[in-house]
Amino acid sequence: MEDERGTIGSINLSQKDKEEKVNLSSQVHHLPCCIKFNGPCSVSQYFKPKPKGMEIDGLAVEEAHFRGRKLQGTTISLPNGYSGFVLAKNNSGKRKAFDVSEGRSDNWEMKAKFDKLTYWNHDSPPSKDDPFLRSFHWFTVAEAVSSPLYVT
Amino acid sequence: MGSEAALPKWASTPCIMGIDEAGRGPVLGPMVYGCLYCARSYQKTLATLNFADSKTLKEEKREELFENLKADESIGWSVDVIDPRELSAKMLKKNKVNLNEISHDSAIGLINRVLNMGVLLTEVYLDTVGDADKYRIKLSERFPSIKFVVAKKADSLYPVVSGASIVAKVTRDKALREWVLEETTENMHRSFGSGYPGDPETKAWLAHHKHSVFGFPTLVRFSWGTCTSYYKDMVEVFWESDRVDEDVANSSSGKQLKLRNVGFTPSKRKSEEMESSAKGRCKFFQTRKLEQLTHF
Repeated sequence: MEDERGTIGSINLSQKDKEEKVNLSSQVHHLPCCIKFNGPCSVSQYFKPKPKGMEIDGLAVEEAHFRGRKLQGTTISLPNGYSGFVLAKNNSGKRKAFDVSEGRSDNWEMKAKFDKLTYWNHDSPPSKDDPFLRSFHWFTVAEAVSSPLYVT
Repeated sequence: MGSEAALPKWASTPCIMGIDEAGRGPVLGPMVYGCLYCARSYQKTLATLNFADSKTLKEEKREELFENLKADESIGWSVDVIDPRELSAKMLKKNKVNLNEISHDSAIGLINRVLNMGVLLTEVYLDTVGDADKYRIKLSERFPSIKFVVAKKADSLYPVVSGASIVAKVTRDKALREWVLEETTENMHRSFGSGYPGDPETKAWLAHHKHSVFGFPTLVRFSWGTCTSYYKDMVEVFWESDRVDEDVANSSSGKQLKLRNVGFTPSKRKSEEMESSAKGRCKFFQTRKLEQLTHF
């Protein structure tokens, strides 16, 4: 908590530079682990999800293995009106001095987008009780708390 | 897989069965449990069939004997092939299942399978896994009508177990030979060697097929100690599920130490960094693991 002001930055979601941004729908995986690596990786050659042919809570169950562990997951669509983005920092070197005096400033740029993703549990099949699915409840709450309140 | 013809007449007379395993030690490939059964009255003939502990036989001899016993109408057999993915997954579960339990379950599964076919099993011979007496008691409790003989080196003492060891070993070798690698990356080859950790060919295969992020192809049993030396060069991976273990590990148990050596258990600081805990926020956020980020 060295800096309670947090980060100041901008996110550029415009698609000007390229006609169409890469659509990563169904290629985004949320794993129950932290992989200490950033960079390109031959995911599709090693990570082979297979449909289990069964449903739980209306979620089609898939199975995959990573580092010897069995993962069970499901592919979900993001709620209506929401999209997923892959962002990358786009900072020029000059900003460094400014960072120190004024708090950090980051500019983010959209690299790809997705409207579907697969989240995986270790050891337990996917269900409506998974925190990941439940986190979407926040959208409803957020809308409610930020809409104007009418008192009659 | 096993003999599948209609139930022979002799199966309703008292029968003996041997159970043995192949591929328990190797760092890659499936582990196979095999069984062989016949009428008790056939026991003497069985002893003349030259079944010996499969390890003492040459590969061609084993395969020849397997063909012979498949053709023998007085013998039944069955196998349970346990996929390396299943072995790794069970041994790396939140509640870890050790290899002995997996072995016991496989043997029990074979006994059930043969009983359900309608074979009148009265005696079952098998090599011990873990403590012989405990294993015998466990089996006897589950199958009170069967007499169990659990012994060290049962595969060289009892022809029916020697036969089972041939069934298991030939099946394991064939499974490994015909293994279809799931991964589709280039430069993979199939010179696995025996799969035993000390085999230079196996070592070379492991070294050639390691991947910094994925570890190994799924043919490899990730839970094996042999893999440890390779993890040093790989990208670190921290699991949410290991965090639960940590609290247990702090209070007791040497089990976790092993895992730590294998590089699976994260340190406290790192596990906190990997997953949002929503610590200090209201319950709505905690149960949904929604954390407020001021830096990213």
